[in-house]
Amino acid sequence: MPVPGVPLFPVTVVGSWPRPRYLLDALRKRQAGRLSFEEFNEVADRAVLEALKVQDEAGVDIVSDGEQRRDNFYSFVCEKLEGTRLMSLAEIMDVVEDKSSFEAILRQRDTPAFAIHNPTVTGKLSPRMPLALDEYLFLRRHTRKPIKVALPGPYLLTRAMWVEGITNYAYASQEELADDIVRILRDELIALRDAGCAFVQFDEPVLSDVLYGPDVKERTFMCASMAASSGDKHKELTWAARLMNEIVRGVDGIEIGVHVCRGNFTRNEAGLLTGSYEPMIPYLLLMQLHQLVLEYATPRAGDLDVWERYPRVREIGLGVVNPRSEGVESPDEIVAKVKQALRYFEPEQIYLNPDCGFGTFAERPMNDFETAAHKLAAIGAAARELRKVRTAV
Amino acid sequence: MTTEEHVVLNGIDVTEFEEALKLVAATPGAHRAPKASRVRWAGGLKFKVGVRNHTFLVDEPPHLKGEDTAPNAVEYVLGAYGACLATGFVLNATRRGIAIHNLELALDSTQDNAFSFLGINDEGHSGLDRVRVKLYVQADADEATLQEVWQHTLRTSPVGNSLTRVVDIEAELAVFP
Repeated sequence: MPVPGVPLFPVTVVGSWPRPRYLLDALRKRQAGRLSFEEFNEVADRAVLEALKVQDEAGVDIVSDGEQRRDNFYSFVCEKLEGTRLMSLAEIMDVVEDKSSFEAILRQRDTPAFAIHNPTVTGKLSPRMPLALDEYLFLRRHTRKPIKVALPGPYLLTRAMWVEGITNYAYASQEELADDIVRILRDELIALRDAGCAFVQFDEPVLSDVLYGPDVKERTFMCASMAASSGDKHKELTWAARLMNEIVRGVDGIEIGVHVCRGNFTRNEAGLLTGSYEPMIPYLLLMQLHQLVLEYATPRAGDLDVWERYPRVREIGLGVVNPRSEGVESPDEIVAKVKQALRYFEPEQIYLNPDCGFGTFAERPMNDFETAAHKLAAIGAAARELRKVRTAV
Repeated sequence: MTTEEHVVLNGIDVTEFEEALKLVAATPGAHRAPKASRVRWAGGLKFKVGVRNHTFLVDEPPHLKGEDTAPNAVEYVLGAYGACLATGFVLNATRRGIAIHNLELALDSTQDNAFSFLGINDEGHSGLDRVRVKLYVQADADEATLQEVWQHTLRTSPVGNSLTRVVDIEAELAVFP
């Protein structure tokens, strides 16, 4: 279902925006327990409004709050859910048996264990507060535009939050944990829909790890539990689709999408995964969703022609700028990319967005404010151009 | 933290520590810090090491047909060097009044030719020929000060000094915000 009240080729974001210095300082104080939840949110309110202003100026039609209140796109749930704890890898390594594979991750990233935190399920999950409804309601008060809210996907949360040696004392299996995660995400989706949210996007970047990683069972920085997975790509991706469908089944009146990229934590493109969406498409299409939010500004994601076999099958959130690069894509380049997409999608099915967020991890923004704003503005200019052409036709 | 008589920093009672140093310094021969250890065979390639009232195990990994119940002797050397540097850094920083929030060292090493120990061949020697160590630290001090503490620690490390006679050691510091 298209988002109502937006022009053709609506411009949107994948979610996150870089955090200003004062917000990072507040985040650190919050993490050290020196700021309350309310005090932190007061600081974040200002940052959200600044992020909104940039989107307005760039011509973004479906806005987000820039995920300014989140430390990153998934571990923020720890603050919102009972039964979870943001554990440093140093703490996790004290209790897990397979220490050497965690050691390999640290060596690969040249980082200390105290600097990596994993949202970990330590007890039975139950909501302490809504995951994102508060974020939505604040933004709602400050814009009349449709709002997109990103939520971590069920497969990501299940895989990332399961730490053998800790979580298995609370849940008998990952499947049992997934049941609770699905219930929580479904309740959140319905609450957002009921509050008038236009678009919920589930982030499932770990699907790329399954498909394009060297080994399904290899631990990744974001997904320490992959070693506990089946190791079977088909089984994993089918399960991911089933979990998603359990969340969205029967939920009408809101645009629902899934975002899959190949990583957004380094500007070293060689450090990120590579692979065409082709082998993933059948699994994405198993998901009963309206929109697939995909990266197409990086050659690592392959070509759009893989959609030839699946014409006009879903809406696409077309990634048209690379959030990690210095150079700003020109509106002409973006228009050309959209023209390619028009071979496989109806104009009404194409939404324009960056490949991913500009600040997926609060402490590790992928670009400076100025470049990020220019990139958004380039998308806005391209959309205006495309609408003009369309009107002329 | 400061109590009426004691300064406590980084979990160390600095006042008591300085008193202890004075006492040790006044003890004849204490600078030689004699050590003794006893190693007992526990069957196969497993050994029990006794030092003062402590016992720890040494074993070999499975690919060398050990039971892998504990690190092997060379791994202990590498770990001992890291622990020695960590101890030195914390002590030196604490005595300078620097609060440490997080500290971690990553070490790796190579041997000139481990095969000579295993009897595969006789080339070179079996000892460590290179150690890399990186200290990651979050502390209330600027990078120059932490670098100074780190360099002092490297220079004065007892295990480091034992190794540097034969081992080329590359050391780095990474200060975390």
